[in-house]
Amino acid sequence: MRFFLILGLALLLASCSQKEPIYNQQSYVFGTLVDITIYGEAEEKSQAVSNEIIHIFQKLHNRLHAWQPSEITELNKAFAQGKHITIQPDVATILADATKLSGQSKGTFNPAIGGLINAWGFQKDEFKPTKVDENNIKNLVAANPQMTDIVIENDQVFSTNPSVQLDLGGYAKGYALDIALAYLRKQGIKNALVNIGGNIIALGQHGDKPWRVGIQHPRQPSAIATLDLPSGWAIGTSGDYQRFFELDGKRYCHIIDPTTGYPVQNIQSVTVLIPAQNNAGTLSDVASKPIFIAKPNSRTDAAKIMGIENFLIIESENQIQISTAMAKRITWLDTNAAKQAVIMQP
Amino acid sequence: MTHLTIKTTTQDHQIAKLTALAIGLHVLEAVFPSPLPGVKPGIANIVTLYVLAEYGFATAAWVSLLRVFASSLLLGHFLSPTFVLSLSGSLFSLTTLFFTQHLPKKYFSVITFSVLAAFAHIAGQLLVVRLWLIPHAGVAYLIPVFALAALIFGIINGLVSAKLLND
Amino acid sequence: MNAIKLPFKPLIGDWLVIIASLIVVLFLFKTLWVREPASQLKIRLADKVIGTYDLNQTRELHIHGPKGEAIISIENGKARFKYSPCTNQYCVHQGWLSRAGQVAICLPNQISLQLLGAKSPYDSLNY
Repeated sequence: MRFFLILGLALLLASCSQKEPIYNQQSYVFGTLVDITIYGEAEEKSQAVSNEIIHIFQKLHNRLHAWQPSEITELNKAFAQGKHITIQPDVATILADATKLSGQSKGTFNPAIGGLINAWGFQKDEFKPTKVDENNIKNLVAANPQMTDIVIENDQVFSTNPSVQLDLGGYAKGYALDIALAYLRKQGIKNALVNIGGNIIALGQHGDKPWRVGIQHPRQPSAIATLDLPSGWAIGTSGDYQRFFELDGKRYCHIIDPTTGYPVQNIQSVTVLIPAQNNAGTLSDVASKPIFIAKPNSRTDAAKIMGIENFLIIESENQIQISTAMAKRITWLDTNAAKQAVIMQP
Repeated sequence: MTHLTIKTTTQDHQIAKLTALAIGLHVLEAVFPSPLPGVKPGIANIVTLYVLAEYGFATAAWVSLLRVFASSLLLGHFLSPTFVLSLSGSLFSLTTLFFTQHLPKKYFSVITFSVLAAFAHIAGQLLVVRLWLIPHAGVAYLIPVFALAALIFGIINGLVSAKLLND
Repeated sequence: MNAIKLPFKPLIGDWLVIIASLIVVLFLFKTLWVREPASQLKIRLADKVIGTYDLNQTRELHIHGPKGEAIISIENGKARFKYSPCTNQYCVHQGWLSRAGQVAICLPNQISLQLLGAKSPYDSLNY
């Protein structure tokens, strides 16, 4: 009898769980995986807050969708026909901000090239290798759609260039991060981590240590490095491994150079770190693109004009550039990368 | 022409019957599914323990190994990973029995042998998995469960063997 | 103590062995059964590590072992053998693994799944 009592006690002891107060929820929104982690809150509250954030994301996703019927597709239709159309205040703010960033990037970040993105077949949830019509691409480039072609007057908007077709793919996820952060703060959440398709923004810490994020290796199913993400900071990566297809042995990724009309080649990924500020999330999405699209020797210049101090550029397995500031923050997990990385002086 | 006559004694007959019993128990047990792979009551070991007490270590080793080989042939996994596990478990427990067989009968009954042999058995199996079948596999999580099973079934088999020996 | 009638009364030495074993078992549970949530999945085929995968994703992996192709599912912090070509299906019946240290092993096909814990290098993956 005593034997069984002892046994029971043993099993009870074994089942004592040392769980930390961390809540994690994953959902599919924005056509990608959204991961919300909340630390130090009651499960009910974490769940309610996470659900609401997903709800907010879903609404944003539907309103800003680049090819499914949305406010953006309505704008695009009007632009193509030279018509005026009513615009919501927050979308107007988005367009204004995107225009500013496009100018800052000297045109490499250009959300007006929806036509080109569509020509390459990337405006689909599942896309196939596409052989483009060279002339079509030439024409689309020549039409030169720019954010500055868009004119906003109060609550009305129109475009002076019918080829302007908005695709906020390189902006919306980052923007959503900022919205999420503001909402979390409003709800009194002190510590959280929001990951939208790989773009991450941090709030507070993971208990008594900072949130730590891994950076995906562009060619392997593991992290190439890790770094601590301080509160309010955001991290974003543009990569040729996220959305791409291969045709005749060449890789065509979803990031298109507006000046050539063709997907960027010969670079695998660019990661940028944005210090805490109002639109840290947005910048983490936007700012990696100009660096990705720039000519190989002009990447650090592109980082400079976007005000990026912390960046990691991986052109290939043996061509890695990292800024001094970023090098201080990073912990390499890949020994080869650690060896190959060249630290760029500012 | 010379004739070879093998004279069998009643003891040989007895041992043969016991071996057949051990094989039978092993095969019977294999029919029943176990909740966790590798966790089995090992009732055939009752025979091994009985033989150890009545006929000594050498015979017990014979019976045990014969059981392992014959069962695997009967069940159709001779030389398979299952067979290797069964064999390694048996070898480890037999070795343990060899070194502990002379423990004073005044203080240690067959229950002790059963428990010790059971632990040795699972240790041998886990070692084979970890070192050879799937090197470096994370077996850590399984060890406590197997150990508990070894303890429980070791005691039960030991009690049954003790009862049989006492009668 | 005498609620259960034992067919045989264990001797002093027996009790010693039993209690010592019990202590060993308790110790093993205490040290090896860590209940932390897992963050990564390590898959081994025979003596090689096929890869270490983040559990915070949803995907299926096809692994070819000597017995055939097995399908491993990763979903939201858990992993399992979804399909295996083995006869006994022990690996599949292990179901979802979700805690650090948990393992599922398919011996005939020489595939092992192991969940790694909060010693994970990161909280979230940027990609």
